[in-house]
Amino acid sequence: MQLLTVEKLCKSFGGLKAINNLDFHVNEGEIVGIIGPNGSGKTTSLNLLTGFLKPNSGRINFRGEEIGGLPRHIVCQKGIARTFQLCKPFMDFTAMQNVMVARAYGRKPSANLHIAEKESIDILEQVGLGSKAGILVKDLRVMERKRLELARALATKPYLLLLDELMAGLNLTEADEACKLINQIRESNITIIMVEHIVKAVTCVSDRIIVFNMGEKIAEGQPEEIVHNPKVIEVYLGKSHA
Amino acid sequence: MKKNNIIKLILIIVVVALLVVLPLVIKNDSTINLVILVLLYILLASSWNILGGYTGQTNLGHAAFFGVGSLTTRLLWVNGVPFLLSFLAGGVVAVILALIIGAPAFKLRGVYFAIGTLALAQMLNLTVGNILPEMSYNPDLANYQLLPRYYLFLGLTLITILTAAILVKSRIGLGMMAVREGEDAAESLGISALKHKLIALSISAFFAGMAGAAFAYYHVSFYYYMPFGSEWTFDPMMMAYIGGTGTIIGPIIGAVFFVLLKQLLVWNVGEYHLIIFGTLFILIVLFLPGGLVEIWQKFRTFLTKKTKRRKKVLLKATIQNEDGIQRE
Repeated sequence: MQLLTVEKLCKSFGGLKAINNLDFHVNEGEIVGIIGPNGSGKTTSLNLLTGFLKPNSGRINFRGEEIGGLPRHIVCQKGIARTFQLCKPFMDFTAMQNVMVARAYGRKPSANLHIAEKESIDILEQVGLGSKAGILVKDLRVMERKRLELARALATKPYLLLLDELMAGLNLTEADEACKLINQIRESNITIIMVEHIVKAVTCVSDRIIVFNMGEKIAEGQPEEIVHNPKVIEVYLGKSHA
Repeated sequence: MKKNNIIKLILIIVVVALLVVLPLVIKNDSTINLVILVLLYILLASSWNILGGYTGQTNLGHAAFFGVGSLTTRLLWVNGVPFLLSFLAGGVVAVILALIIGAPAFKLRGVYFAIGTLALAQMLNLTVGNILPEMSYNPDLANYQLLPRYYLFLGLTLITILTAAILVKSRIGLGMMAVREGEDAAESLGISALKHKLIALSISAFFAGMAGAAFAYYHVSFYYYMPFGSEWTFDPMMMAYIGGTGTIIGPIIGAVFFVLLKQLLVWNVGEYHLIIFGTLFILIVLFLPGGLVEIWQKFRTFLTKKTKRRKKVLLKATIQNEDGIQRE
């Protein structure tokens, strides 16, 4: 079943067409990777899906409902959560308070803060931050902040989770941990779109990969197909390698 | 309840009780007037703090809400509307004004709200000064008594502080603070930043308006434009910063500190006190962004660290002793 369908989506900034006639879909329970070189429209598409940008034209259908151009907090309440490329935690809050905000306001929120607090601690444990609940974000390390960013997104109880370059800046061991986490999230019936710059970062977990270049979709398929696709090699490495 | 909370509660009860009996014991009008001034400033600083400190939106026109509250109440009261009704009208009109300015200003990000509110207060100051240039006199001068005024201010201040304290512990309060910490992140988690800013602004403006209403009841005579003056914005704002924004106790400490220091300085150095306050404000923003409250917090963490270290040293000493005994 299709959870998300994007049709003929366009977004331009002045004369620059950041996203041009984009079509793609995501099935329920899938992990879809979106890759592409710098400036290919990966993050823009993510911003369009989450209401951070309004599309110029085209349709975004989520669970049978048009969501293109809705305010971002409404998009979240409908069940799409996102993380940011540069983590945006609430610095003066503890890890637990960060997650509690998401639990108190996301989809199916817990209006009672005591319940929200308990649920938040469970979610922190799920991403391996159980022991850090009371620690201020200022005092967390990079990987811990990424975990927190994930925990916060999960606390909004999403159907669809959008990860914007979660793997960026992680070393190999940390990237491995992140892959494990993502697989673990999938098991709780959450569909995932991962946006990454590095091809390797998505091939380990994705069921399907979509490749962007210059605001358009240039390839789509299984990870093995994608890494051997001449078009993909061309945009990443130049013509002579293809 | 924790031991700390019980101590806090007892302290609060003692302070409130002292404030309640104060005018009955000290029958000196100038002292009571000074306490009223402190209460008025606590009211203004605490109400400013709801939006400025907890929601992170710098309101440079708090005087507009204070002024419009005093204007509404005084005009209605002078023209024969029952006092209680005109008193409440002060707060209500301030909220209406807040929503009129807040709804468009908050749609724009960044400094627009600060500039908009600053302009609003200045414009009202000039407009009211031109339309109503005459002095307003208390309609009930023959029966003027200080005591009911004192208790009105005390009650209003307590209600403001209590409301703020309950608000920031609530879900809405959590949302407000999340908006302060990061609007993008907050919205991506399902919080409507606009809604939370407007709620905070309305509550903030309501209590500023009520402070204006109490001001209108308190003063025997004043010019209508006077409460719109920019000092009614910047003094409370400075108090909130000096005490510590985003805390309940901060604006209270700031207001007490500010009024007492000002009295002291005005007696000794006159108008030069403005320079001293300006410098103090800059120093606090630069080196103590958490205000005076931060000193206390730092002192406390220092103390706990010290006791912990002492315990560690003691522990080490005992272990060494035991070692020594065993070796013997």
